[in-house]
Amino acid sequence: MTATKLLRHETILAVLTVIALAVLASLSDKFFTVENLLNQGRLMSEVGLVALAMTFVIVTGGIDLSVGSILGLTAILLGVFWKNLGLPLPLAMLAAIACGTFAGWVNGFIITRFRVPPLIATLATLALYRGLAEGISEARSVRGYPEWFFFFGQGEVLGVPFQLWLLGLATVIAAVILGLTPFGRATYAIGANETAARFSGIRVNATKLWIYTAAGFLSALAAVVFVSRVTTTRSDMGTGLELDVITGVVLGGTSIFGGRGTIIGTVLGLILIQALKNGLSLSGVKGDGTIVVIGLVLIGAILAGALFDRNRGG
Amino acid sequence: MKKMTLGAILALGLFSGTALAQSAWTGGDDLPTSPLACDGTPAAAVSVPYDGGAPTNPPDRNGKKITVVDVPKLIGIGYFNATTKGILDAAAELGNVDAKTDGPTKANIDEQITFLDNYITSGVDGILFAANDPVAIAPVLKKALEKGINVVGYDANSTPDARQWFVNQAQFNGIAKALVDQMATEVGGEGGVAIVTSTFTTPNQARWIAEMAAYAAACHPKLKWLETVEAQEDNNLSFNQATTLINKYGDELKGIWGMTSVATPASAEAVTQAKACGKIAVVGLATPNAMKPYVGADCVKSVVLWNPVDLGYAAMHVLRQVADGTLKPGATSVKAGKLGELQVINGSEILLGAPYVFNKDNINDFDF
Repeated sequence: MTATKLLRHETILAVLTVIALAVLASLSDKFFTVENLLNQGRLMSEVGLVALAMTFVIVTGGIDLSVGSILGLTAILLGVFWKNLGLPLPLAMLAAIACGTFAGWVNGFIITRFRVPPLIATLATLALYRGLAEGISEARSVRGYPEWFFFFGQGEVLGVPFQLWLLGLATVIAAVILGLTPFGRATYAIGANETAARFSGIRVNATKLWIYTAAGFLSALAAVVFVSRVTTTRSDMGTGLELDVITGVVLGGTSIFGGRGTIIGTVLGLILIQALKNGLSLSGVKGDGTIVVIGLVLIGAILAGALFDRNRGG
Repeated sequence: MKKMTLGAILALGLFSGTALAQSAWTGGDDLPTSPLACDGTPAAAVSVPYDGGAPTNPPDRNGKKITVVDVPKLIGIGYFNATTKGILDAAAELGNVDAKTDGPTKANIDEQITFLDNYITSGVDGILFAANDPVAIAPVLKKALEKGINVVGYDANSTPDARQWFVNQAQFNGIAKALVDQMATEVGGEGGVAIVTSTFTTPNQARWIAEMAAYAAACHPKLKWLETVEAQEDNNLSFNQATTLINKYGDELKGIWGMTSVATPASAEAVTQAKACGKIAVVGLATPNAMKPYVGADCVKSVVLWNPVDLGYAAMHVLRQVADGTLKPGATSVKAGKLGELQVINGSEILLGAPYVFNKDNINDFDF
């Protein structure tokens, strides 16, 4: 758990990302254009926002499988609050985000108060929140949002997509919290050895509760961006999102056993996956081939990481 | 504190439960229905002005070689393999089209948007699509139109202004009538019936269910709708959902409608395994190959569908003519190769023809 070892995984990943970008750019002249890169940033923002919180969750040795369902539930609530309850849209957005945040808090509450393993707890809420989304929406989609609302998902500020600013800001905040604050150190301590952390006077439960609540909040934020981008609300939105998010975080070098991981690693992991998906598609590889390559890269990156660990250990 | 949380969870659960119980014929949409006459008298055609979109400054593609990508709802299932075959057949026949099919492996709108977005960036001349969601797909299709790409839909529509033309495989009320009539004949006009669909918001299925409800209410009022269940387009899930229906309703259940090419064979398999052939009728939309075993064993009497190979074939011909500039807004019919003259309906839709009923006598003539 030394700084050099952390740096090393990210260095490998950074090199890998640069190589991937270079290869992809040589395969298609449409890949390395400002327009395409910004557009890809737009497409990865929702996964990116959730992945920031997921990094914290996995660093504590936990997992949150319910993020996709929280996204779906928040999206539906946004539509229901606005269309069925008649709230003004800004208020409906705040209320829906509050509900998504609450859903994250419930995860944290179940995990800390009842000592339920996060995998089980969030597997249950994955089904629960999705079921609520389907039930509350009565399986109807909500459409016809006003034009100004599309700014969050489709608008630009200084030529850069709005949600990319949002993702950038959230990334900086998350990186500072995880890397430079007592809260961040508590997060690592819990993941490295929860019992030891508890006896060192770290408020383990409070820290975890904050983290799962934050996961709910960022999923809810992603939901608003997502609804704005696709201009409609469906109860099956965000299905499978948790897998994309976890893939990015794990590829970024965060240990699934906890205690290790950085925000910069997660960001690199996300960029690598998005670049592969987009670049391979542009160079004529079909969708099924792309998934195979991403699987191989994931296995390769993890093997490389394990190899380095072993070398250092022995 | 614990009690409060549990209470809140229970209350939410009950709330969603009652919400689901209230709606009749779940899975239909809110749009107005237009059921056909019970005896099949055709309705008078209404002329509607063109309501499709237009590409911004498209280059002159008349007679030139064009690159076309087809992004269906998902790839790897019999139905879309058949539409792909039709598209490739037409492309080969035309000789000046370079066509390929690519898309998500699950019917997921997020992934479909990403695929389309990437192909727009890669600079194709034409896009064929079958939408997973009519509204969610609209922004990315409009982006394609803005880049001067020709956009034609088939199978599942988007909002009209997001594409130029849509090839409609069958009018919704026509399919609904065929499905309900077949079911009524097989169950003797009355009894409990249930539906296995993909998801409640999938545009085609929602529209059919709404039309079926309207037609059944008018022409077969003794058919009692029990429940609609969602099964994505997942074989295993469809089988499980159909089995659950059989166990849940017992003798009350006389028939199951399968609304997708996955749900119908899975429902037939569920009925076969429950040894309920002859007791529970299965009527639905499916590809003939998947249904041959059940039709051969007399467990299923009729399968309703159009010919998806023809659908893909027609869509490719329409796209070529739009790119050439020979198919313009306001046209009343389109020449589609071997299919002949196809009629334009609803402003910017092209009708493939009347639905086709496969049965024991003709099903072996088809291979898709």
